[in-house]
This record gives sequence, structure tokens and C-alpha cells, in this order.
Amino acid sequence: MADTPSSPGGGESGGSVREQDRYLPIANISRIMKRALPPNGKIGKDAKDTVQECVSEFISFVTSEASDRCQKEKRKTVNGEDLLWAMTTLGFEDYLEPLKLYLARYRELEGDNKGSGKSGDSNNRDAAGGASGEDLPVV
Amino acid sequence: MAEEEETIRPEFPITRVKKIMKVDKDINKINSEALHLVTYSTELFLRFLAEKSSVVAAEKKRKTVNLDHLRTAVKRHQPTREFLLDSLPLPSAQPVRVTKTVSDKKPPPVGTRRIDAFFSKGKAKVDSP
Repeated sequence: MADTPSSPGGGESGGSVREQDRYLPIANISRIMKRALPPNGKIGKDAKDTVQECVSEFISFVTSEASDRCQKEKRKTVNGEDLLWAMTTLGFEDYLEPLKLYLARYRELEGDNKGSGKSGDSNNRDAAGGASGEDLPVV
Repeated sequence: MAEEEETIRPEFPITRVKKIMKVDKDINKINSEALHLVTYSTELFLRFLAEKSSVVAAEKKRKTVNLDHLRTAVKRHQPTREFLLDSLPLPSAQPVRVTKTVSDKKPPPVGTRRIDAFFSKGKAKVDSP
């Protein structure tokens, strides 16, 4: 899964992001919300549309915090540790445990796919005591 | 061990999450771990919003979650409140009720004379309804 690093040629340097690209698909939002409701529960359209905006806000908020930490440590690539740190800093420490489990599972599966056992041993300038940021696909 | 699950399947399209993250021009590169964690944490957040809003709706004996329920749920969780409350639409506007009776015959300013007062002889009637 060798994604190309972000480059200005990605077509986003002009800042012209389409409206629908700023939000997650309403169908996914609706599906996940429904699971969290009681069986006969419903969500009004206004609420659903607003939630759609809220989750984009959440993404921006968390990403910004993670990115700040990354920059402070003079790294260029936001990694998983930055994210976990951001969650705690922003008051979402409840998410830490599920996220760590998820990350462990992800590394296990991705490690199998790659066939390599690397998980933080490599000496690279981006390592910050956690996952090596460079040998993972950079998006 | 869940062997039947070969891959982690995010609930949202990863490419879309990436686009949203990149709206912020300060964001440079993101590794795939971070991207997956953002996606999963977003799912957790969404479930949280839904659950809490649903609780508020139930308190108000409603089956349908609406904006007010969502707003209350946001307010009740301090970290969420801090970054999200201002982004929510304002509380639903009440229909504007005209509380003052607007009469179309306002008393004219003092000293004003109606024009027909100029024409009525003898009875300089200054009408002030």
C-alpha cells in the first residue's frame, strides 16, 4: 500500500475542496448513529445533517492538535502517537484504550501483509519512541 | 482471536477522512496509522454523540432525536462542548410574534395638523385618533 506522499500536485493546493468532500457520507453517519439508538429510535434530518458537520469538526480539531505536536518535535509526518497524544490532551482519554487496541490490531495485520517485523526498531529521524513513521505508507 | 477478519474495515471511506484532514493547509503528511486512528476515533465520537443525544431525547420522552437534544448532549460533555458548541446552529428560532399592536394610525407628532384641518372652516378640528 505505497501511497504517494502528499504533494502540491494533488489538486488541493488551490484550496478548492468540494463541499461534499468536507463531510463524511451521510449514509455512513446514519448507519452508525442508528446502531447507537434504541430499536425504535429515530434521528431527525436536521440533527443528522448537523452531526455530519460535527464529525468533520472533530476530525479537524484532533488532526490540528496532533499536527502541532508533530511540528513541535520537528517531524514532518503525523503518526499514531501524535494522534493518541492529541486525544488525551483534548479530553478524549476515554478513547485511548479502544484506540490502542485498534492500533495493536492494525499493526498486527499490516505487519503480516508486509511480511516484515518492523515496529519501531529502525533508526529514522521521525521515530519518536513509538511507531516508525517513515516505513509506513504515508498518505 | 477473530480469524475471520482479515483486514480492519473502517466504517468511513479513508480517502474522504484524508480530504477532510487536508482542508487544514498546515497538515503535511499523515502516516497510515494516524489516518486509521483518526477514522476510528471519529467513529467513536459519532457513536458517543448519538448515544448521548438519544439519552436526552428519552428524558424528554421523544423517540426522534432533534437538534436540541444534540445541543444538550454536547453541553454535557466539557471537552466536546469546548470545541463544538459554537459550531452548532443556533437554537430554533421561535416564530416572530408581533407583541405590540401596530396601529396604522399613529398619533401624529405634537403640533401637526391634519391637512383637512386647513380646509374646514370654523371648526379647526385637529383630529388625533
